[in-house]
Order: sequence, then structure tokens, then C-alpha cells
Amino acid sequence: MRQEWGRLVALLLSQFRRLDLVEDALGDAVEAASRTWPVDGTPDNPAGWLMTAAKRRVLDRLRTEGVAQRKLPMLLTDAERQQEGARTMADSGSLVEDDVLRLVLMCAHPALAPESAGALSLRLVLGVPTADIARLFLVPEPTMAARIARAKKRIVGAGIPFAVPDAAVLPERLDIVAQTTYLAFTAGYAPGSGPDLLRADLSGEAIRLARVVLGLRPDEPALVALLALMLLQHSRRDARVSDGRLVLLADQDRRRWHHDDVAEALRLLTGPVLAGPVTPLTASYALQARIAAEHATAPTADDTRWDRVVGLYDLLLHVSPSPSARLARAVAVAEDRGAAAGLAALEGLEIPSSHRPAAVRAELLARSGDTDAARAAYDQAIAACDNDVEREFLERQRASL
Amino acid sequence: MKYLVLLIGDGAEKPWSEQTEGEQGDAMAKFGEFDAACRAREGVELLAGEALSDSRDATVMRTTAGRVALTDGPYAEVIEGMGGFYLLEAPDLDVVVELLRILPPYDIQIHPTVDVTL
Repeated sequence: MRQEWGRLVALLLSQFRRLDLVEDALGDAVEAASRTWPVDGTPDNPAGWLMTAAKRRVLDRLRTEGVAQRKLPMLLTDAERQQEGARTMADSGSLVEDDVLRLVLMCAHPALAPESAGALSLRLVLGVPTADIARLFLVPEPTMAARIARAKKRIVGAGIPFAVPDAAVLPERLDIVAQTTYLAFTAGYAPGSGPDLLRADLSGEAIRLARVVLGLRPDEPALVALLALMLLQHSRRDARVSDGRLVLLADQDRRRWHHDDVAEALRLLTGPVLAGPVTPLTASYALQARIAAEHATAPTADDTRWDRVVGLYDLLLHVSPSPSARLARAVAVAEDRGAAAGLAALEGLEIPSSHRPAAVRAELLARSGDTDAARAAYDQAIAACDNDVEREFLERQRASL
Repeated sequence: MKYLVLLIGDGAEKPWSEQTEGEQGDAMAKFGEFDAACRAREGVELLAGEALSDSRDATVMRTTAGRVALTDGPYAEVIEGMGGFYLLEAPDLDVVVELLRILPPYDIQIHPTVDVTL
């Protein structure tokens, strides 16, 4: 059923254009199915059954709303544009006719806040329950429900269309789909508390989202590179937590990594799609994936080819310079050429309101035997850290000096 | 759908008064191009569009308990640099954004209007 969710939402939207009704109607239909199918047996065409039931519910609602509210704003679709002959006459060959792609592009529209876009994509394209999306982004369920409702209202209010844009803008828009997907993925690996320390199962939903889009646009380089990157990070999910604590990469039990994910990612990275010229975003995903692949293919932590990792970070900084990439490069430099070289690479690096540069400096100072300076750097990192799990980790490191 | 398009700031464009005559001519050409693109596009209609005078010429009108108070200057700092506006009929936000890319790189606010039927 979950595979069909996005397609059913898309079909209902193109028919009724009522973003406020469609999702509830489909939810009701699924709920009715869970009651009647076990008793009456699963219908021959489950998706068709759900579609009919959901349609009936939308029609019921429209009838009760009656004449008074006929002016409610409706979702704009490009079907209308076509009636108006607005843009499709030029070159219909450059347009991709697919309702699910329309849905994906609407949910990840650049006029929506990135976090709302991620939440909305998981909800509408994949049918992930709101409670789970709230857990993924570490917010209370009512907050997430309100955020999703606001995003849906904004789509209708701002005139964000349920449409596939011109071929000229499509790659740019698919880049935003990729960024939205990656944001949802990384949200699952932001440390939470207790049993929700990591929410790798929900990060897996972002991988599913990328696969849905790749099903529609198989040769989209940004999504191929992103899928490889996510698979490599996700392959370590079972080794990242032990006894309710985060385990650092070097200390992870590599037998618990998912080597099938690694193999798929390596196939994607060496495939033909990424062989040609790519956008900076794609290059950045592909380079991050190749860095992750160096770790994934090293038999032990000591076997890691840090020289190659440093080289890949140099390329990454060239393509897409960022303080966090500089920080990661400094860590790799320290592994390759020693703590002093790592400290030199950290020189002058600051990330506003982040504890990470101070935490790395503390670790490298500790390694080079400068305990006093290390302690001071840990204090700085602990003061700047607003995540309970990571702060406890830093406090343990400081205490062990 | 109708959109009010506010050109609220120079953004990446050099301020008008600092532009050479040639640059000013280029900017004017872009406005002409935008006008033509709107006319050529079915489903799109430019309903109104004007350049605005200096923001210091603006007046803010507020009514409190039946008393009208007028203050000189624009309503808020954010629109101090507002240089012009369009009222535009267009199928959706994507079409509006696509057309506005033709203009100089100003900061722009795009605000849908609503039908208020009395």
C-alpha cells in the first residue's frame, strides 16, 4: 500500500485540486481498508479500491461544503495552463508527464521552507505518518502537524503549482528535491535522546523518496550521487549506537555494516550517469560519497587511506567550500600527518554556534599531549553544545584526560 | 491568480543613481523585455505597473479609533527602497518567477491578491 500512496495522492490531486481534502480522504480509505479487508478479503485491485473509497470521501466533503464555500482556493495545475495554451505548446517533448513527479516537485518547491518541504514530501509522496515525521525532526507531533498544514495552505495561497516546470528549469528544481531529501535523511542522524538517539529507520524513508524520484528520472546525476551518499552513510546504521551511546566511526564493528548498501553505492558511483560533467551540487554529493566509500571499503580503521580522503576533501573544498568540510578535512589531515598538522589545518576555522571546531581542537590537543589546552578547548565545546547526547560524550572525553 | 509584485530593493543591482547612462539603458531594456514577455505569454496579463517616486514622498495612513493619523515616509524600513510594482495576472507562482527573471536582479516580493466580493 505504501508504495501506492504517492501515486494515489497525485491522481486525487489532479482530479480534485483540493490539497486540504485529498490526504484526509486517502487516510480514511486506508483506515476503512484495515477494517474491512481482513474480514472480506483483500480486493483484486487494492489500489483501485482505495482510489474509489477516497474519491467517494472527497465527493462527500464537497457536497457538505455546498454552495457557500465554492470560492475556496484550489490547487493550480498545469492541466489548466494547457487549456489556456500557456506554455506547453512550445515543445511538449521537453515536458515529463507524470503526476507523481508533479507531486514531488510541488512538495519540494523552493518557495517552501526546506524543513516543511522535507516533511511534506515524506507525508504526501510516501504516506509516512505525521507522528513518525515529528520523531524524525525531533519536534512534538502537534508542531509537525501544524507545520505540514501550514505548508499545504501556503502551496494553495502562494500559487505553487502541481506542475512540471520547463525543461530549462527542471534540473534546478530536481537539485532542490535532492537537497530536501538529504535534509530529511540527515535529520534522522541528528542525535536525539533515549530510544530516539538515532532514527535510522526514518532516514531510510528519505532513501525511499530518492528511489521514487529516480524511478521517474533514472538518469538524474544529483539524485544518483545523493542515493550513493545516503546508502554509504546508512550502511553504518546498526554499528553507530551501542548500549544507548553513539559509537565513533573508528570504533564501530565493521561486521555490522550493511555491505549490500555499500556495494550498491559503489555501483552508482562508477556508473555512466556520473561520468559526464555535473553541477556543483552533484559533484559535492559524489565527492562526499567517495569519501564515505574510502571508509566503507577499508577493512579496519587503521587501513583507512587518509591520504586519499584528504585529497577528496581538497576537491570538495574546491567545488563547494564550507566550514564543515574544512573541519572534516582537518580531521583527515590529523589522521594522515599527525595531530600537529591537523591543528594547523584548523587554524582560523570557526563555525558560528557550533561546538564542533572546539571539540576537534580539544581532541587533537589531547593527542599532542597538551592537556591544559585540551581541557580549555573541551570547556569551550561543552559550553557551545546544545545537544544532550553530544555534550555527555564531550564531558566523558574531558574527564578521561 | 493575480499577483502584486513589489520591487522592494536594489538587491544585486547597482543603485539607479550610481549607474552610468549605458547601465541605465540596459536596465530599461530589461523592463521592456519583461513587458514583451508578459504580453507574449498566454494566461499572463500585466494589469498595472508603475515606478514609484522617492520613498520619502510616501505617506502612511493609520486609523485609530476613528482618527486618521498620517506619517511621512514609508510604512517600514523593509520597503524603504521600493522602486516600483506590477499587478500581474498569471497562472501560477512558477510562471511569475520565470518572467521576473528577465528584470534586473532586484529583491522582489511576490504577493497573491485575494478576491474580496462584497
